[in-house]
Amino acid sequence: MTYKRSIDAYEFYNRAKIGEKCSQDDWDLMHVPMKAMELKQKYGLDFKGEIVPTDADMIEKLFQAGFDMLMAGIFVTDTNRIVKYTEDEIWDAINNPMPEFQLGWGRDAVTMKRREMGDKRGPLIQGGPTGSPVSENVFYEVHMSYALEREVDTLVNGVMTTVRGYPPTPKTPFEILAAKTESRIIKQSAATAGRPGMGI
Amino acid sequence: MKIDLDAISVIAHYHGNNDIIMDEQMPIYGGYAGGLEETAIVDVASAINAFVMSGASWHLDGPVHIRWGSTNTRETLAIAGWSSAAITNHTGFMTGNQYYPCAGPCTEMVFLEVAAQAMTDSASGREILSGVAAAKGVITDKTTGMEARMMGEVARAAAGVDIAEINKILSKLVPSYEKNFANAPQGKTFQECYDVKTITPTDEHVKVYEAAKKKIEGFGLVFK
Repeated sequence: MTYKRSIDAYEFYNRAKIGEKCSQDDWDLMHVPMKAMELKQKYGLDFKGEIVPTDADMIEKLFQAGFDMLMAGIFVTDTNRIVKYTEDEIWDAINNPMPEFQLGWGRDAVTMKRREMGDKRGPLIQGGPTGSPVSENVFYEVHMSYALEREVDTLVNGVMTTVRGYPPTPKTPFEILAAKTESRIIKQSAATAGRPGMGI
Repeated sequence: MKIDLDAISVIAHYHGNNDIIMDEQMPIYGGYAGGLEETAIVDVASAINAFVMSGASWHLDGPVHIRWGSTNTRETLAIAGWSSAAITNHTGFMTGNQYYPCAGPCTEMVFLEVAAQAMTDSASGREILSGVAAAKGVITDKTTGMEARMMGEVARAAAGVDIAEINKILSKLVPSYEKNFANAPQGKTFQECYDVKTITPTDEHVKVYEAAKKKIEGFGLVFK
């Protein structure tokens, strides 16, 4: 069915209030495993021990199974309802991806562009602790160790275990202070490494 | 395959702010979805959803093993490899993958784990690699820039290599570390394997890196 307009956060929110009711346990323990098992059987999926696939037909079957899985919907935990999309709404997103974009600025900026399987051009490298806990007293130094690596194109942060000596407990002012402090220190570490325009 | 409405409000903010949006999800092998192919199906669905629901600029993946908490097992590598192939071959979406090896910094094992994933991600068409959260990303100060260096060097070396050859190298590389998941070396903290004042890896750290690189070369990867 032709879609009326593209899905966005507002349309998703509206559907989250009126979608089919379902308990979270039913979703986790019944809907997701049963549907995944059904689709594996429907498409005869078998990876045959390969890590990087070479069978184009089987890759296409996996794509179709994933598409069908998404057609079964997304569960919204606040309303206990399932948001569903039409096939055309999903194709609308697939047909309109961002072709490329820039991360960072100036001479330190890098462009993220599409790659293919077996592409001769390497991927971008986003270096950093990736959410790992990092002590407040070496937070700057740990992140600079990534910014100093030429292999690294952009930075991804770790998490400060304390800020001004206090734990960044969720839903407290210290959580906000830690988040703001992390981004300031990471930017400073990139600048001190001589790469002030690195994407973070 | 589920979301809360706070996240949807945040997405509205990102769009209003004209931000580059990274939408992240880490499917669990052995979790609700179940086995290898089932988890890959959920992974592909979640990746597509990032662009439908969030209007994401790119999707950050990270299939993780329920027993080992790692992205570097042969099962989670296969889920990542197949999911990336499905998205790469059938959409114009851009995706990344994140790194949670079992071993800690300044160990041969962490570099071998990173290398296996970087080969998988580079060959299967990922646009960006994110990491490395060594020691599963749970021990304070057990991450350093040297793990990211290995991720970058291997990803470049694997780019353009025939996929059958990549699988052949992986068939030697993965068995070289997977037997050690239960007793993975926890390695050293940043303070123990770097000069903190000059932000320079210790001689020992560089030697461990070199030894791991030689081992990977022995499995057949040619560094550029």
